[in-house]
Amino acid sequence: MVRERRDLYSLPDAPLASRCYSHSKVETDEEFDARWVTYFSKPDIDAWELKKGMNTLIGYDLVPEPKIVDSALRACRRLNDLASAIRILEAVKDKSGPHKDIYPYLIQELKPTLTELGISTPEELGMDKL
Amino acid sequence: MMERAYIASNKPLDNVNRYSKMSLAKPVMRGLLGKRLRFHLPIAFALSLMAAAAFKFGVTEPRKRAYADFYKNYDATKEFNNMREAGIFESVRPTGK
Repeated sequence: MVRERRDLYSLPDAPLASRCYSHSKVETDEEFDARWVTYFSKPDIDAWELKKGMNTLIGYDLVPEPKIVDSALRACRRLNDLASAIRILEAVKDKSGPHKDIYPYLIQELKPTLTELGISTPEELGMDKL
Repeated sequence: MMERAYIASNKPLDNVNRYSKMSLAKPVMRGLLGKRLRFHLPIAFALSLMAAAAFKFGVTEPRKRAYADFYKNYDATKEFNNMREAGIFESVRPTGK
């Protein structure tokens, strides 16, 4: 199936996201978070957009806020993609790098969502061990 | 002098983290790489420059000085004649042959 030319301006990282402090408006953390929550909240989001969004998000110098991860997990639910949901949890754990306090905090904040959507954490599945 | 009475403390002597049941505080989640680079890159550049300077002044400059000193009063003709008498040349025989 041929995919139409992707309109890249629908991605949250369109030019207005450039952090060029010299002349364009600086986006606040809240605006950034809100854009990404909106991106993943699209009711008819497709698998490509989910993957593209996650890859873009992981490229930033930050660990996504719980509300962004929550929105992404719900997108996985709409797409019936449990594998991606668990992968997202692995990804944010990896993004934390040496900062071991971030991932437990994220899981704490996401616990209600994980229970509601029936998503197991990599630790519960024993996937965090080699 | 009144004796001090040491009353045993009622605190338990275990070292359980009393905060494990409370909710975790929100950690810093943004700009972690930037912070790391701002700390480590100046150190990395400084150490690299120091390594280069140490090599320059510990190795290359003494080496250049050694060569300069050797050739400062080098008499090529005298050295040639010494080599000639030693018989190491094929194109010119020692004097006297």
